Amino acid sequence: MAHKRLKFLGVAAAVLMLAMACGGSNGGGGNTKQYKIGLVTDIGGLNDKSFNHLAFVGLEKAKADFGIKDDVIESHNGSEYVPNLTNFASKSYDLVIGVGFLMQEAVGTVSTQFPNIHFAIIDGAGTDAKGNDLKHTNVQSLYFKEQDAGAMVGVMAGWLEKNGKSKKPQHVIGAVGGVSIPPVNHYIAGYKWAAKMEDPGIQVQVGYSNDFTDPAKCKTVAKAQIDQKSDIEFQVAGGCGLGVLQQAGQSGVYSIGVDADQKDADPSVIASALKKVDVATYTAIQNVVKGQFSSGALTFSIANDGAGYALDNLTLPAELKAELDKVQKQIHDGTLTPPADIPA
Amino acid sequence: MPPIARRLAGGLAMPLGSVVLAFVIGAVIVAVTGGNPLDAYSGLLCGGLGIACSQGENPALQVSTTIVYVIPLITTGVAVALPFRAGLFNIGAEGQLLAGMMACTAIGVKFSDLPSPILLPMVLLGGMAAGAVWAGVPGILKATVGAHEVVTTIMLNYVAQWLLRYLIIGGPLQLAPGTSKSLTIGPGAWLARVLPNDNSLVIFGLPAGVFRVHTGLLLALVAAAAFAFLLWRTSLGYEIRAVGQSQRAARYAGVSVARTIIVTMLIAGAFAGLAGAIQIAGVDHNLTDIYFSDTTGFDAIAVALLGLGSAVGIVLAAILFGALHAGGSVMQADAGISGSLVFVLQALILFSIAANFIGQIRRLIPGLGRPAALPPEMPPAAPMMTEAAVPPVEP
Repeated sequence: MAHKRLKFLGVAAAVLMLAMACGGSNGGGGNTKQYKIGLVTDIGGLNDKSFNHLAFVGLEKAKADFGIKDDVIESHNGSEYVPNLTNFASKSYDLVIGVGFLMQEAVGTVSTQFPNIHFAIIDGAGTDAKGNDLKHTNVQSLYFKEQDAGAMVGVMAGWLEKNGKSKKPQHVIGAVGGVSIPPVNHYIAGYKWAAKMEDPGIQVQVGYSNDFTDPAKCKTVAKAQIDQKSDIEFQVAGGCGLGVLQQAGQSGVYSIGVDADQKDADPSVIASALKKVDVATYTAIQNVVKGQFSSGALTFSIANDGAGYALDNLTLPAELKAELDKVQKQIHDGTLTPPADIPA
Repeated sequence: MPPIARRLAGGLAMPLGSVVLAFVIGAVIVAVTGGNPLDAYSGLLCGGLGIACSQGENPALQVSTTIVYVIPLITTGVAVALPFRAGLFNIGAEGQLLAGMMACTAIGVKFSDLPSPILLPMVLLGGMAAGAVWAGVPGILKATVGAHEVVTTIMLNYVAQWLLRYLIIGGPLQLAPGTSKSLTIGPGAWLARVLPNDNSLVIFGLPAGVFRVHTGLLLALVAAAAFAFLLWRTSLGYEIRAVGQSQRAARYAGVSVARTIIVTMLIAGAFAGLAGAIQIAGVDHNLTDIYFSDTTGFDAIAVALLGLGSAVGIVLAAILFGALHAGGSVMQADAGISGSLVFVLQALILFSIAANFIGQIRRLIPGLGRPAALPPEMPPAAPMMTEAAVPPVEP
């Protein structure tokens, strides 16, 4: 037995030495204060091609501009939100950013425990278990007027239907939401409102998958809408919504991406409604670095270039482009205001 | 060396070897993909066990976080290991856990005004009952019409997952329209924390509220002890093991196989349901969308396998998996290596156990010890669960 143990020790030592040989040393810091920024993603993870990804883009840009120390933790399931936020807070980071509405209660809990640490949360606030905003002075909410972005792609969808330029124009379009929560419904509200503005006779089908991660669930909802004659499908369901884009491609109809530019997700994607989470994340970090952190809501919209749209796999007719520019300018100037609630 | 120690060493070789093998392969993967294995593993060690923290982590906080993850793994691990002993694959621990959560929340919300001595046992027993029902159905189906428990328990996982969604999104437990969470259970149903949940109190340099470790730990350990007692010190435990070894022999010996299968599944489900109830009563106090993506019941399968189906083994394996879970986050924060490496490690551990690499290595290299003798009559479900897989004691 002793012999066996010795052998085992030898193997272990060899492995350890190998590991150490691969190790390097970390460089030292400078003299000026280096700000430490921690980012916690929700369960979508960094490769969600959506807002977790965009938050990371904003973080990287801030790193390049301000020389911050940036660290990221991806949450693999919801029970990790509190420990992951606590990790950065307990290490006295200068700003802890939570990505997404799903982390509201966790941000509320942790910001209560660490009143001297600054928090920012995309799409939400720090709340208690009942969903009430705790209005902590150390929490900044980064909100978006998703209806602005939704309206831009709604204009596109409505115009294509009215002028018979969609794949199977029958004045029917669809939207697939993840869960019926405010940020999702804002998008759909702007989309439906603008589509009706362009094509008053249009029918807008709205469905929910009750999921943000599983593409198969969204595919089913999209399939049902396409079977009901929808030929432009707007996905508002994060990672789940990639299924909407795929289904549209398989059924030979158009689709519209959400949050980030989803041009590459499927050839059927003609445009994406953009929520510029990168701009919001960058702005929040910039405020902290400049000593200008403020609690409460910071809203990003077309007016401050925090929302918009991207043109993807479709060459637009000049008339439609002119119409989009006109509407965007009107929203920017405040002469048109897309609604936050889904119109009847 | 005394026979007991030799037997222990032989029994530990397979799981320990699997873990070491997984970590070695994991280190290679990290190195090949441009990371530093030493940084990765020191991050894991710090995050999981609070040892060797280099970047300002609070060791006590890390230990507390790990224990919070360990608690449900122990209890669901038992829920998988018990049916293994009877030759049954309980892949439904996740569904049974969710059933326990739903029952606990429903009772805790409905009777939120009751005092703790009444309400706490109610929610825990309610959770156990719900879990027992969730596992009892596959048990009855297996015993009566022969429906395979793997299929039925997996299907009931989906039923539980979708029922959870329904209950808190548009269903009767939903807090308010537009939310995906339930009301909070009454304070009487809360399991006490080990440290007071008081943020004005500073313990280990942090507000006490951050230490979420709760007294459910005791319940989990009691569950593991109860499992061992049931299995080795009761006639039911003997029957369970007899059925697991050979149904035909058990039947010949006068054991009712059908009854044993049903009772085993009921008890297993009660353990998993208890895990769910403890989680709600000890950690969350409400049912939320965070459990849409829960995998505890599936991790429990790995815990039961790695723990060789013994109570002590399950507790140790649960600590390892809980530490890996908590450590993954710290590893990503400190070393910049994706926490997904943890899933690779878990999969490698499981894979190496399933493939019995260590047994093969021992067979190939005689100096490393004798190969495990395979018993002649082995239930297909649990080849490495039986005591026979441990090298026989020297006469």
